[in-house]
Amino acid sequence: MEQRSELTAEAERTWDRPIVMLPIFLLLSAAGGLLPSFSLAANLYVLAIGGTLFWLGLSGRVPRRPAPRRLPGGTAWWLLPVLALAAVEVVTFVGGSTHDYPTLSLLADPILESYLARAALYFGWLTAFWGLVRR
Amino acid sequence: MIRWIFISTFLISFALFAVVEWRARREDSTIPTLGELTGFVMQYEVGRMPVGRIALFGFWWWVGWHFFAR
Repeated sequence: MEQRSELTAEAERTWDRPIVMLPIFLLLSAAGGLLPSFSLAANLYVLAIGGTLFWLGLSGRVPRRPAPRRLPGGTAWWLLPVLALAAVEVVTFVGGSTHDYPTLSLLADPILESYLARAALYFGWLTAFWGLVRR
Repeated sequence: MIRWIFISTFLISFALFAVVEWRARREDSTIPTLGELTGFVMQYEVGRMPVGRIALFGFWWWVGWHFFAR
C-alpha cells in the first residue's frame, strides 16, 4: 500500500517537470505569437491561459517550493531596480506616452510586431507565471 | 534626446534586475533571489485569503494581457 501511494505521488509529479511543461509552453507561445494585439482571439487566449495558471496557483494542485520565513538584510537592494523602473514608467506615462516620453508598452509595440520576438516574450511570460505558481 | 534618456533608464533598470539577481545567487549572499522574494510575498494572507498570491498572479496576468492583447 505504501509502495502504491509512493508510485501515485511520483506519477502525480511527472507532469509538472520542465521536460513536460517547457514543450507545452513552447507550443502555447508559438500559437500565442500568431495572435495580433487588440484581436478578440488574443484577448481570449491570454485570459484563458492566465486564468488556468491563476487557478492552478491558488488550488494547491501544483507542488510548491518552500518559501523563506524571513527575508535577509540585503532585501532592500531589490528596491533599486524596482524603483528605477517604476519611476521612469510613471514619468513617461505622465508625459503622455509619446515619442519623447515613451512608456515601456510604446517601446514594446514595434518589437511585438515580429512573430519571433512576440513568441519568445510569450514564452518568457508563461515560464515566469509557472515559476510564480510553483512558489 | 530626452527620448534616449528614458530608453537608457529602462535598459539600466533591466540591467539592475540582472545584477541584483546575480549578486543574490552568489554564495553567502544576504540578498534573496527574486524567486525567494516573490515566494515570501506570496505567503501573505489576510484571514484565510491568500492576498499575496492573488496580487502577484493578478499583476502578472495583467502584464501578459497588456502586452499581448492590448
